[in-house]
Amino acid sequence: MSRGSGGGYDRHITIFSPEGRLFQVEYAFKAVKAAAITSIGVRGKDSVCVVTQKKVPDKLLDQTSVTHLFPITKYLGLLATGMKADARTLVQQARNEAAEFRFRYGYEMPVDVLAKWIADKSQVYTQHAYMRPLGVVAMVLGIDEENGPQLYKCDPAGHFYGHKATSAGLKEQEAINFLEKKMKNDPALSYEETVQTAISALQSVLQEDFKATEIEVGVVRADNRVFRVLSTEEIDEHLTAISERD
Amino acid sequence: MGDSQYSFSLTTFSPSGKLVQIEHALTAVGSGQTSLGIKAANGVVIATEKKLPSILVDETSVRDISSLFFHKSQPFSCLLFRCHFLILFFFLNYLWQVQKIQILTPNIGVVYSGMGPDFRVLVRKSRKQAEQYHRLYKEPIPVTQLVRETAAVMQEFTQSGGVRPFGVSLLVAGYDDKGPQLYQVDPSGSYFSWKASAMGKNVSNAKTFLEKRYTDDMELDDAVHTAILTLKEGFEGQISGKNIEIGIIGADKKFRVLTSAEIDDYLAEVE
Repeated sequence: MSRGSGGGYDRHITIFSPEGRLFQVEYAFKAVKAAAITSIGVRGKDSVCVVTQKKVPDKLLDQTSVTHLFPITKYLGLLATGMKADARTLVQQARNEAAEFRFRYGYEMPVDVLAKWIADKSQVYTQHAYMRPLGVVAMVLGIDEENGPQLYKCDPAGHFYGHKATSAGLKEQEAINFLEKKMKNDPALSYEETVQTAISALQSVLQEDFKATEIEVGVVRADNRVFRVLSTEEIDEHLTAISERD
Repeated sequence: MGDSQYSFSLTTFSPSGKLVQIEHALTAVGSGQTSLGIKAANGVVIATEKKLPSILVDETSVRDISSLFFHKSQPFSCLLFRCHFLILFFFLNYLWQVQKIQILTPNIGVVYSGMGPDFRVLVRKSRKQAEQYHRLYKEPIPVTQLVRETAAVMQEFTQSGGVRPFGVSLLVAGYDDKGPQLYQVDPSGSYFSWKASAMGKNVSNAKTFLEKRYTDDMELDDAVHTAILTLKEGFEGQISGKNIEIGIIGADKKFRVLTSAEIDDYLAEVE
């Protein structure tokens, strides 16, 4: 009678369990949730917006240095949910890859190409024992020249899809349920509606009203394709618009 | 292949002589979405379920792009074939729409059951091998050769240090000088030629259904209908052109993935 689950190593490195699962990959997903942050991304008709919580655990910390939003190139943004150190590694490698792409091929790396590259790298970590999967879910956003606004989500298992709206982190499932209802009829959201849908989704799922300093918002717009992190004043405007609307 | 820190294989024999990691990989395949293939007298069809995890997933990111190429492609004998083939290879690897059925060469397609990310790796390696063969011999790679080389890669990962086997089974459909062919490749690296086969969740029902319905002189259209009926057997929910993918290759030796409109037409015929 074979006991062969790899002698219990299937929980320590990415080899198959008897049920055909990869425990290390599943634990990586749990690590994303353990960061206790929820993030939301919404794609509108001509813009993409991502929102995440900004938890500053210590008052002595410099608030401006706490961020989950990273520009990869001028036109591509990445929102990393999960382990912050793994996020930094991913961002460094993505920035390098995007720069090399631009040098090698003479045009800016498109969103889906970057998403696929991140996903392929994550797949390598799920198959080779020497590196563990990264505990990060990455949402990549940008405006594609041919296909318009794009939002892709890449996870530790190596899957990636384009999304109309999505979520990651602690309250991922609740947020996706909320967004499914909102996006059911394929609404063509304007820029303001996109941002407000994203922020109000986060508020409703976490059941608290935010101050502008407690969330981070990143956007790309068709008329201004540079990836931008909104300032506190701009976030305030959107929050006021939401509360007036309700 | 393999990593220096792990200079020992992770796939080792159990006391009863089994390679349990490969068996676990087969279990992973068995919990993947159903796919199947049927070899007809004048072509091959492969099909799979395509259940997206949420309605929020953008279907156009899961769209077929093969139609972009074939209205421009030249016959094999044309000098320009080589340019087109290289462009195809480069383009396909960078403009991947998240599609389950993939083209390896203009006359060979592949579908999988199991882990999507592992499949992407195999597709990339296979495409490169096909292109290297073409560079060396100046002719398109025969289906058996490509299957053999892909299977060799999969076997490597069951024996090299520090890696696990691939969690996918592949169905490779091709049409070359030897006629239409259908091969199934397993995580162990073993492969067989099939007249009709299925893999994934509903494999036993699907195979029984195929055994009853298969005839040696089937035409390609009949094969597509049979494929749809087989998928319908175990399908949860309403089957439509949006939640299945079908790829066909006929005597014209051009593999293509059907659009969802074409699938809907076939579905209407089947009703």
